Amino acid sequence: MATTTKGGDMKMKGFYRQKKGSGVSKSKKISASHGSLHLKDDFDKQEEILRQFDMNMAYGPCIGMNRLNRWERANKLGLNPPKEVERLVNAGGKVGVECLWDGRV
Amino acid sequence: MAMEIDDSSNNLQRKQSLYKSLDETFGVERERYTGQQYSQIYFARLHLMRTILYSLVDTWKPHLPVCTVLGLELGKECVIVGTLYKHMKLKPCVLDEYSKERTGIPLVRPHNFMHPEDHLVLEDESGRVKLGGTVISPSLFVTGNVVALHGKETSAGDFLVQDILEAGLPPQEELPFDTKDKYVVFVSGLSVGCSSSNPLLSQLLVDHITGHLGDEKEQILASQIVHVVIAGNSVELPTGLFNGQYLAAKDHSKLSMPIKELDILLTQIAAALPLDIMPGTSDPANFALPQQPLHRCLFPGTSAYNTFVSCTNPHSFEVDSVRFLGTSGQNIDDLDRYSNAESRLDFMERTLRWRHIAPTAPNTLGCYPFTDRDPFLMEKCPHVYFVGNQSKYENRLVKGPEGQLVRLICIPKFCESGVAVAVNIRNLECHALSFSTDLDL
Repeated sequence: MATTTKGGDMKMKGFYRQKKGSGVSKSKKISASHGSLHLKDDFDKQEEILRQFDMNMAYGPCIGMNRLNRWERANKLGLNPPKEVERLVNAGGKVGVECLWDGRV
Repeated sequence: MAMEIDDSSNNLQRKQSLYKSLDETFGVERERYTGQQYSQIYFARLHLMRTILYSLVDTWKPHLPVCTVLGLELGKECVIVGTLYKHMKLKPCVLDEYSKERTGIPLVRPHNFMHPEDHLVLEDESGRVKLGGTVISPSLFVTGNVVALHGKETSAGDFLVQDILEAGLPPQEELPFDTKDKYVVFVSGLSVGCSSSNPLLSQLLVDHITGHLGDEKEQILASQIVHVVIAGNSVELPTGLFNGQYLAAKDHSKLSMPIKELDILLTQIAAALPLDIMPGTSDPANFALPQQPLHRCLFPGTSAYNTFVSCTNPHSFEVDSVRFLGTSGQNIDDLDRYSNAESRLDFMERTLRWRHIAPTAPNTLGCYPFTDRDPFLMEKCPHVYFVGNQSKYENRLVKGPEGQLVRLICIPKFCESGVAVAVNIRNLECHALSFSTDLDL
């Protein structure tokens, strides 16, 4: 903690840099659908379950922790988080590792 | 040859003890910062403390329902558990200097940030509610305490507090039975390198501990010292040398001079008996609690001895199964800034009853952003609870409802008072070791 390595510095900068690539690309969709507002992102059922988990305050704040760590904390504190979430995150594939707000706030 | 053997049979043997460090919980080397904020540590604290409080509520107010803040109903008596937030008029805020509005905040401040208009707010995951009534006094509590409150919602939307439940002293292991006197010596605020520190005074302390002073009677006492703990602020670095430029080569040696001097003192102690050193505010360690051990490279002489342990602040350990817990003083100093008490011992006693040694972290006391635990939570009650760098030496024996016995000790700054503190681990009796170089008696 006391020392900051060069690598650590770079990580911090990267962390605070706005992620321009990802995030909600509203403008594109609006033009594609001729003015009708699409507030929904493209995500599937699995992502929906994980987002519900992110938004559940019983398991604590989600910003700054990845989904697996947050699930593990909830498990360690005896909060009985849904097993489904752990399975989905560990399965990899299309589902996100980071929480819903990562890169958006 | 025969003479020498005779000599050694008359030599005093230093008493031995079994030491066990319990600092693992204060280490941050396994933590990885991934951008989390302090909401996480408050969540962990609330969850862990609430579990304790809920188990106590059943015997405290068995007839009352337990609510969340959102579930409060007008006029219905219930119990709520949450984290306290103290709204303070005088608390400095970084935004103050940018606000265009001229506020009525006085320029000359009293000794702390208390104000008669301060009030408490209780919050949990669901919401927050302003606390009213005369039962709960804002001057006793600080932001970050977790408590259970009995009361009801008033028509003004406040929560009228009728009774308060704190977690109380944690469970304690029984004091081991021992018939031999053994002492642990505490010293803090050596401030080597400070203009007011007297090198002769520190040397007298070292010579006393190592048994080089006094007659046989005094040496017998010295031989019963089994452990020495240095509770922070051992050096005062000449910060005047920092001017935003690179340090000149000649200033490098000036800067490290106090640490070299300290190393010489510590080497003498470590050669004689086990020694722990904790970092403090003025030491070259990280700022945020838990402060990590001072690097061994700072003490090339002392670190050659395996009796030397550089440890964390807060520091927890056992000597012959007697449990010790203490800090270099930051937690209690911060409580003094944001709450009131007659003496420093009262602050210490409160932290024991709150089961939390540093409730003001992370609000007004720097602290690492832990996510899944709160290392400042006291899971087991110590037998000796010490705080370093206080203005005067004080001690008190606290008795808990379940027969817990805790010796509270305020260790004074050695460079100002010349006082170190010795605790007898047989019976937790405690006395001051005063040194003076004043010759007019």
